[in-house]
Parts: sequence; C-alpha cells; structure tokens
Amino acid sequence: MSTFEERELAINPIVVTSVQHNTQVVSNIRNLTASLFGVAAGTLGLESYPGFIFYLVGSFIVSALIFALRTDGKPGDYFHRPLGDLWGGDVFNGLSSFVLTWTLFYGLLRA
Amino acid sequence: MAILGTALNAVGLIFLTHAVYSSHEHTATFAHTPLPLDITIELLVSILVLSAGIVVSSPQLKPIQWAKWGGKIAREGQQSEGKWTKEGEEILSEGDGFAFLGLDNGIGGDGEGRRGFWDVSGKRKEYAEWVKTGGKK
Repeated sequence: MSTFEERELAINPIVVTSVQHNTQVVSNIRNLTASLFGVAAGTLGLESYPGFIFYLVGSFIVSALIFALRTDGKPGDYFHRPLGDLWGGDVFNGLSSFVLTWTLFYGLLRA
Repeated sequence: MAILGTALNAVGLIFLTHAVYSSHEHTATFAHTPLPLDITIELLVSILVLSAGIVVSSPQLKPIQWAKWGGKIAREGQQSEGKWTKEGEEILSEGDGFAFLGLDNGIGGDGEGRRGFWDVSGKRKEYAEWVKTGGKK
C-alpha cells in the first residue's frame, strides 16, 4: 500500500462492517442470478463459448442493475474499489453454480 | 420497495416456469429444431425481470466512508434489524469470536472499550436542552 493511500485512509477511514455487508449483498445477488442464467442458457441450448459469453453478459447486466438501483449511480460511496468490487466482484464465484444449472437444464431438455 | 421486489420475482418466476415448460414440450415434439422466437423472448424477459426483482429485494447497501456512515446514523437514527456493538457498529456475524475473554466492557470491566461512532450533534442537543431547563433533570 502506498503512503498516499495510507494517508488517505487515515483521513477518511473506512467502516469495515459496512464493507462486509456490501460484499455479502453483492455475492448473494451473484449466486442467485448465476443459477438463474444457467437455467436460461440450458433451456436455450447454448453450447461451449456462447454459454460462457451469455453468463458474462448476464453478470454485466446484473452489475448495471446494482449500479442503478442500489448505489444510486455513486458506487464510490459503497465500494472501496468500484471496478473490482461491484463490476467484477464475485463474477467467477458464480460460475460454478452457473455451469451446474446450465448442464442440468441442458440435460433435462435436450439430451 | 419490498412489494415491488416480491411482485417482480413472482411475475418473473411464472414466466420462467412457463418458458421452460414450453421449450420442454417443443423439444419433446420436434427434437433437433431451434426454439421458436416467442419462447426465447419469454425466457430472456423472464430472467431480466427476475434479476431485477432479486436486486430490488436485496437489502440496502451501506456507505463505507466513516463520515457518510456516521452522518447517516446521526440523521436517521440507528435503524437495523441487527444487533449493535457499543461502538455503534452493526454485528454481522454470529457473534464475537473473542467473547469468552469477557472484555466487552474493557479490562476489569471499567469501560475502556474502543469508541467508534459517537453522535456528537445529538449529545450537544441533549446538553442544550439540559441547560435550557436550568440544569435540572
């Protein structure tokens, strides 16, 4: 951590419990929507790369929804690093539940 | 907002179930043909509505900067379903991992715990009221 960042944090301290709460909320939303996108991808019969692209596009839409509805367009107030914590936060944690429901619904409907 | 979230979730779930059931019927009747456009559209709309519902019905985020967080508490009071430490921070986990040390009130119980948020303007108002009443209470 640079001295500048350290000084900045000393002047404007950060509330740890709020950070925890926000991370928890985002990861909850991500887990729920990831399995939802899996249902859609499996039902649409997507295979290979298009399925993963579908997931990435869906996660981006969910990030935009959080940005618009939960942070009121000011993600800096709620996330220490908006780019990593909001737009990229937990995207790859949801990937496993996405693949799970994707394969399940693909198998139910197509196989 | 809670009603809106529940309504969005319910509508999205109905459409999603219908779309998945329709596509199941379709693939059972005409195997190896692409899905009709109306089922695809219904599916995409339903997951959009559902994810909007999930985001709307999730709890509010909390400001992470100390000044804004403290200002919000001073303005609106501490409104939360959770428990609060005496430092004014909300307890999120199942409890203090070091509670067995019995140091909640400081060492020896004489209250030397760390002070986090303290509502200065609230206390100042209280003091002004006390002065106005002539110091009696």
